[in-house]
Amino acid sequence: MTEASTNGRVVIVTGGSRGLGAGIVRSYLASGDRVAACSRSRTPEVDAWEKDPETADRFLFVPADLSKSADAKTFVDAVIAKWDHIDVLINNAGVARDGMLGLATDDDIDTVVDLNIKGTLYMSRLVGRRMLARRTGSIVNISSIVGRSGYRGLAVYSATKAALDGLTRAMARELGSRGITVNGIAPGYLRTEMSHGLDDGQMDQIVRRTPAGRLGEPDDVARACQFLTDPLNTYLTGQVLVIDGGLTS
Amino acid sequence: MGNSKEKAEQTVRSFIDRVKPEAGEITLDSPLYADGIGLDSLETAELSAVLEDELGSDPFTADEMPQTLADILAFYGDEVVADA
Repeated sequence: MTEASTNGRVVIVTGGSRGLGAGIVRSYLASGDRVAACSRSRTPEVDAWEKDPETADRFLFVPADLSKSADAKTFVDAVIAKWDHIDVLINNAGVARDGMLGLATDDDIDTVVDLNIKGTLYMSRLVGRRMLARRTGSIVNISSIVGRSGYRGLAVYSATKAALDGLTRAMARELGSRGITVNGIAPGYLRTEMSHGLDDGQMDQIVRRTPAGRLGEPDDVARACQFLTDPLNTYLTGQVLVIDGGLTS
Repeated sequence: MGNSKEKAEQTVRSFIDRVKPEAGEITLDSPLYADGIGLDSLETAELSAVLEDELGSDPFTADEMPQTLADILAFYGDEVVADA
């Protein structure tokens, strides 16, 4: 068996400017890959990657609102123009609006559905086509354990994350014969934006119930992304890996 | 160097040779799908992606579904393009 090189892959991380997405960007930059990230606004992390001589030539940031199909196309076109192809797509961009479904506005629902589902579909369609033309590639959809278990106050978000797990399985079936793997990661409660809307009491309760005894870190998820997109893992597709410290086991 | 139509025809013929080697001679009017060359839905999506990759645009996502090679070529102009 030969070692497949991961060095210099072209990796897209949506929502890569902060939180979990930034952790995933950091991981792929550390493994020597070229990384393109997008989000609606830039952050100090983005500025740092653009200025750091170690990463400046291997990092591309494009401001984009992926709930708009045209923005998704602009982003993917920019990556192709710079690096010619795409090896890995990490669909991480997402948004949550907490509150009882009975009190959610149309705007609350549209905002979450448009980015979490439609944005992921736009990106998967655009990038999947590029991978199809080359018959190689890996896609990872970041969902959530609340898409499997549900969570009080996160009905819309939970619904969209469950949808991503369905998308993962369907795309794996569509693209498997063309050498493209599609998997998902369902993170548990991370010490980032996933704690949005949770008070200290809820967070303490989550930690007490988690066998690992702590909240997750972006690196916990980034390592799983690296594993699922390892070029040698061509027989692993259509799966959703739960990274939650054993909380839902 | 060649024009878009020539490059598109070369791309389509090369693709069909690869995925449907049993298809035999392809004419401009050969049906692309079940009653002709036999491209299935995934192969059609793949051809669409390959054409976009090679020529920057493709008729499958821009207009009505082409039914023949001639329909595909009709989408492209006569401007000169560089070889990939």
